[in-house]
Amino acid sequence: MKDYTAKVKLNGVEREARCEARTTLIDFIRHELGATGTHSGCEHGVCGACTIKVDGKVVRSCLMFAYQANGTEIETVEGIATAGQLSDLQLAFKKHHALQCGFCTPGFLIAANELLQNNHSPSELEVREGLSGNLCRCTGYVGIVAAVLEVAQLRLMAKGANHA
Amino acid sequence: MKPASFQVHLVQSQDEAIGLLDQFGEDARVIAGGQTLVPMLAMRVASPEHLIDINQIADLKYFGTSNGALQVGACVRQAELEAWENLEQVQPLLKMLFPWIAHTPIRNRGTVCGSIAHADPSAELVLALAVLDGSVVLASKKRKRVVKAKDFFLGALQTDRQPNELITAVQFPIAIKKMGYGFKEYGYRHGDFAVVAVAITKSGSDWTIGFGGVNDTVQIFKLQNQSLEEAIQSLNQLASEIEVQEDPTTSSGLRRHLMRTLGKKACIQASEFERGHGS
Repeated sequence: MKDYTAKVKLNGVEREARCEARTTLIDFIRHELGATGTHSGCEHGVCGACTIKVDGKVVRSCLMFAYQANGTEIETVEGIATAGQLSDLQLAFKKHHALQCGFCTPGFLIAANELLQNNHSPSELEVREGLSGNLCRCTGYVGIVAAVLEVAQLRLMAKGANHA
Repeated sequence: MKPASFQVHLVQSQDEAIGLLDQFGEDARVIAGGQTLVPMLAMRVASPEHLIDINQIADLKYFGTSNGALQVGACVRQAELEAWENLEQVQPLLKMLFPWIAHTPIRNRGTVCGSIAHADPSAELVLALAVLDGSVVLASKKRKRVVKAKDFFLGALQTDRQPNELITAVQFPIAIKKMGYGFKEYGYRHGDFAVVAVAITKSGSDWTIGFGGVNDTVQIFKLQNQSLEEAIQSLNQLASEIEVQEDPTTSSGLRRHLMRTLGKKACIQASEFERGHGS
């Protein structure tokens, strides 16, 4: 029984739909709102594929119920690219072959974005630790780590150029 | 992997939550962070008819120091406490172990009290509450009571909480100057539950040693009047003597080995901490 209404701001757009009490946020975003960029993997909080941002905090959308997200602002992978242009991080993922099947990628992009916002020049270890809550089962992590490190460096250089 | 149907009660006050617990008892579960409960619901290990969601209760979002203890309300997220600028000064052991609890996205949502309520014997916060001799505050319709950790944790996932009681807060004693603290853990992957975790407090030549992950409950031992070398010796002895669980990934022998090696490191860490902060 869809007894509940959840109203959220999804990537800047007000959205509203009915849901059951037991509907997880990931299922709500995918099935009710039709935003299928975020992937549902293990459904019990281990794989990190469903990682999104709720009110600015990175969370697992499979470990939250949709009714709990009522009134929140949600950011998913669809919100990363602007005006049809891939972000620097997405381009770096492509360049470094940081994805193969791409299933884990939405979660990695959200987690990596967050990591880079909190730490402007992370070490390789910090990147690996920062992304340790996300699992990739085909490409492995070498390309992913390389992509994140490169973006950190590029962003620092861009910032330096702006200050000069 | 979808939870069975349940009815949600979005309660606004403690009284409302306690009233519902009194009415539904074992048919109800309390949800705050849900980082353990939601997987249990998804796997249908738990399928309560009623979920009492306490996230809207403003006075459970409080944490701070009073009466010699760090009081942590039932809705305080682990990441909130972890990011608190005074945490290292107020209770360094908590500062040491937070990075070991799962991953940032889990700590952003998971609560301190939720971990205590779940009472997993390999959970870091359960170990911390036990080794620090902290307490759990429980409220029911009739009374409010404060239970010491040693009386609260009864076994794996078993606690002294009655079906009509709400855990409103947990209390960690505030760090005392000249005390030493140490924490070491081994898990198979970053963020996994501990295979073995060791937490130590040291006051002069008195030691309190806690082992997590080795058995059905956290194991606490007190050593009196021992030097660092003697404490490490005693710890080796303890690792040989106490009952240790075995599972498909970890033999009891490996657990005992980890208790010795991590224990030694934690003892040294506690001694060095004491020296560094003693003045």
